[in-house]
Amino acid sequence: MDISTLIDSLHPLEIKVLTTLGLRQSGTALGSEQLAGAAELEASQLSMAVEWLLAKSLITVQTETVTPIVSLTKIGEEYYQTASPIERVLTAAREATGTGKRLTIPDLQSQGGLDPSDVSKAVGRLKKEGVVLIIQGGCIETTGRPSPTVEALRTLLGDMHDSPKELKNFTEAHRQIIEDFAVKRGNAKEPFRVDERVARSFILSPDGAGAAAQLLTQGVAEEVSQLTPDLLKDGSWRQTRLRKYTISLRPPRIGTGKKHPYREFLDTVKTKLVSMGFQEMRGALVETEFWDMDALFMPQFHPARDIHDVYFVKEPSHTTAVDEPFLSRVAKVHENGAETGSTGWGYSFDVHRAKRLVLRSQGTAVSARTLAASPQIPGKYFSIARCFRYDQVDATHATDFFQVEGIVLGEDINFRTLLGLLNLFAREVAQAKEVKFLPAYFPFTEPSVEMHVRHPRLGWMELGGAGLFRSEVTLPLGVTVPVIAWGLGLDRMAMVALGIHDIRELFTDNLELIRTTRGLF
Amino acid sequence: MPTITIFKDDLESLLTGEGGVVRGIPMAQLEEWLMLVKGELKGHNPETGELRIELQDSNRPDLWCCEGIARQIRIKQQGRLKPYAFFAETPTSPHHLIVKPGMEQVRPYVAACTAKGYRVTEKGLAQLIQTQEKLADIFGRKRKTVSIGIYQLRNITFPVTYELVKPDDVRFTPLGMETAMTLSEILMVHPKGLEYGPILAVQSLLPILRDAKAQPLSFPPIINSREIGEVRVGDDELFVEVTGTDLRMVILSLNIFAANLADRGATIEPVEVRYPTRTVLGKRVKTPQDLGKPVTIRMKAIEQALGQELGEAMVKQALEAYGYNVSAEKGSVKAKLPPYRHDLMHTMDVVEDVAMSRGYAEFTPVMPAQFTVGGLSAIEQLSDRSRELMVGLGFQEIISNILGSPEQYCRGMRLEGTEWGRTVDVDNVMSLSFSCLRQWMLPSLLRIEAASSRAFYPHRLFEAGDVAIPDGTHELGSRTETVIGALIAHATTHFSEIHSCLDVLCYYLGKDYSLEPLQHPSFLEGRAGRILVSGKPVGVIGEVHPEVLERWQISMPVVAFEVNLSQLADLG
Repeated sequence: MDISTLIDSLHPLEIKVLTTLGLRQSGTALGSEQLAGAAELEASQLSMAVEWLLAKSLITVQTETVTPIVSLTKIGEEYYQTASPIERVLTAAREATGTGKRLTIPDLQSQGGLDPSDVSKAVGRLKKEGVVLIIQGGCIETTGRPSPTVEALRTLLGDMHDSPKELKNFTEAHRQIIEDFAVKRGNAKEPFRVDERVARSFILSPDGAGAAAQLLTQGVAEEVSQLTPDLLKDGSWRQTRLRKYTISLRPPRIGTGKKHPYREFLDTVKTKLVSMGFQEMRGALVETEFWDMDALFMPQFHPARDIHDVYFVKEPSHTTAVDEPFLSRVAKVHENGAETGSTGWGYSFDVHRAKRLVLRSQGTAVSARTLAASPQIPGKYFSIARCFRYDQVDATHATDFFQVEGIVLGEDINFRTLLGLLNLFAREVAQAKEVKFLPAYFPFTEPSVEMHVRHPRLGWMELGGAGLFRSEVTLPLGVTVPVIAWGLGLDRMAMVALGIHDIRELFTDNLELIRTTRGLF
Repeated sequence: MPTITIFKDDLESLLTGEGGVVRGIPMAQLEEWLMLVKGELKGHNPETGELRIELQDSNRPDLWCCEGIARQIRIKQQGRLKPYAFFAETPTSPHHLIVKPGMEQVRPYVAACTAKGYRVTEKGLAQLIQTQEKLADIFGRKRKTVSIGIYQLRNITFPVTYELVKPDDVRFTPLGMETAMTLSEILMVHPKGLEYGPILAVQSLLPILRDAKAQPLSFPPIINSREIGEVRVGDDELFVEVTGTDLRMVILSLNIFAANLADRGATIEPVEVRYPTRTVLGKRVKTPQDLGKPVTIRMKAIEQALGQELGEAMVKQALEAYGYNVSAEKGSVKAKLPPYRHDLMHTMDVVEDVAMSRGYAEFTPVMPAQFTVGGLSAIEQLSDRSRELMVGLGFQEIISNILGSPEQYCRGMRLEGTEWGRTVDVDNVMSLSFSCLRQWMLPSLLRIEAASSRAFYPHRLFEAGDVAIPDGTHELGSRTETVIGALIAHATTHFSEIHSCLDVLCYYLGKDYSLEPLQHPSFLEGRAGRILVSGKPVGVIGEVHPEVLERWQISMPVVAFEVNLSQLADLG
């Protein structure tokens, strides 16, 4: 490997170690601690760098010394706080002897805080030292002699409580105690641990020396992870080593600004309709029964006007007035057809009922209002209207939902142009090439059509309903040309596009789902 | 819109009438035929042959039965309707049904006939009962305007009378009961009395049908007598009556029943109903009766509506194959509906029947050619622009129900008893969860926040949509306005973070705004403001009150704003 490629591949930590060694007189070895100090590295950083450099043969180990170090175990720390078991046994024995109380090994073993095996070991050791005697009946009695073990343990626990110490700094006697009370294989419950610390010193290999020399002559480029404005301003980026990233990792997740997938779907429909020459209509969430139903020639006794189909408004329950001349005209048409050429429904129209306020139950209400407001002729209109139905909410019924509806007015409107328009919807909105027209029934259109299309992914599905508005609808509202009324049922298409099976999920409160739904239409 | 259950073999028998019965008609063929009756196959059990069919046309009660569906298909196949003789004949000595004075105050009209020679089968009986129920329930508006009774003819002695009696003067054993009861007992105890009693609620005298021996036939429109008014499998002589409030609907219902029984092989004998005073059809009304009148339709009207030249002959043929009686003249046709239909309100109804009879596939689609300019409303454009800006500001759009609960829109927001807490409420509440319209957007945003504590933060949400604001001065009692609301939730969010977003939104919408301090129960005092544009309030902004967060069980600070786009647009 060529030396500059080699240098490029070096991690900043490696560079620090190499240059630190390179600054010493050639052949000078440095121990780990010195090296860490000189290179200003944490012990863990140094050990990483050293391992990498050894693996690349840029440094070699000069010396390796093994130093035994003694430290306290967790047990040792406990003994430091509460005194060692042997000391506690001796104290109890002295107290018993002083007061003349009987004290046996089982007595001690049943005392709180002492492990039975610790007690036996302690008594054994004290007896060997001649500090205690076992007299008749197994009673323990002190002799008054001091215990070297207890004294030594106390000193050692105190010494090592602060920091580990090298074993060689202790006296021979203490070293023996440490040996006796150190964690060994098969006996983990001891206060001391003796570890071997390996101290190594390192020296540059010939390759390493070359690299170090090169690095030193280049000037030690400062390593940074971030290109900063300061680096750019003073040009110091030229001397700066920008760390190379591992780019194969997954990035952290960020929050996004995004449209709701269902709204996005409706937006595409909206755009399609505008591109086909449709003008948007708006309407109110609360409507009179007049515009919601009467104007659409739905008789006041129609089953769909029942209390179980429409939501009625509580307060105010009625509007103050419905616009004339529409109210009188529509009332007459319901009663006897008036001048529309119709027989009418032949019942007596209830004007009060017409004023009843409801939550808009069909988007056609918006079309009715448009018809009464001098629409353009020829004209095409659409609305995406929120509607409300008195339905039990389940996977296929929502209590409020969007209806995509509209009208087309013109001298050239007839049954065949109605079918032509539906063909256009099938192609533009559902990308369908096959269409089937079925007779249908709507109270306000005649003839009425239901359109079934073959969707490229969904197969045959009902896309919508349409028809020519009855004269009973158009004439009282002042429209004399034929009018197509159409409606598209798009929720199923939206649900498939969004990968959901429950209509309620269109309005889900699950933010994670909203955020992760792609919405490809 | 009724859905009925019929059996395929029954339909097949009715399709062919006399002569050879065709079995095993393919389902695809059947579904195509159903187009003639605006019927949709909802279910099919191949083992029992049971078919569930939804009939769309609420003006064609004659189609809400197996006989009617079969008849419409049969006419198409045979090219014309074979006329029912009983509509034409005037019987020499018909049975009489006498209407006593006073009925006009309660349930004025009745029609009746007898049917002999059809032995009732199990499936036939089920169809009779289904037709009776569908007609009375849907066409008869839950028996209010029309109800129907069927009886064993042999137990009846004519003339039958239709009259008023005191509630406790007449007793009989109603269907479904073991013992005789007075009419007032039936209203109080019998399930049908409880269900349909309200139709007679204000009456002190009640209607009854009795025969010449004073045996009660029924207490219309509530319940039949068990002795005479229970038809069983094997009966072959029936008496059918229809009572109601509209003479034409009453006669039409009987016509349908008579045609159905005739299709099954019965001989229909009309009954003469004698009223005490003149009705629109006179004092003596023979039922069933053909009420249809021919209408003349200009060919031009038909051809213009269908967008195709057809010619008189083709139109005549199409209408005859749909059951009409037609005579063609130069430039027009004269068409009369069959007697079991009464749905011709306008010439366009005939036009649709022409199209259906020929089949919609016979008409080639043509594109409307006139040029129109498309476009979005001003408010939708403003809303779309605002939505784009919110997306640019890193907000996730959400979408919510508008119908919700006072708990969400008012109590959860600490707005009880305040002007801000007023909503448009539903009168006929089904579930409290859906009982009022949202009057502002913030609760819709909190709904998502409350459910999404596990979704990674920060949360930046917005929704643009309609709200309904109660307004006594508006003709509808409320204004529907389009608003946009936005919310930020994370551990260190604060007023100025959301203020910055509002600032950007207003800047790009070209609206100079200012904030004035606002005391609003949903926001922390001293950290809430009213948004003013040209001195007019158009929205609110603030740190959401911790008590509101507690009520929604949200444990993350939330800041929010809401701008009324409709009001903003009005400011120009």
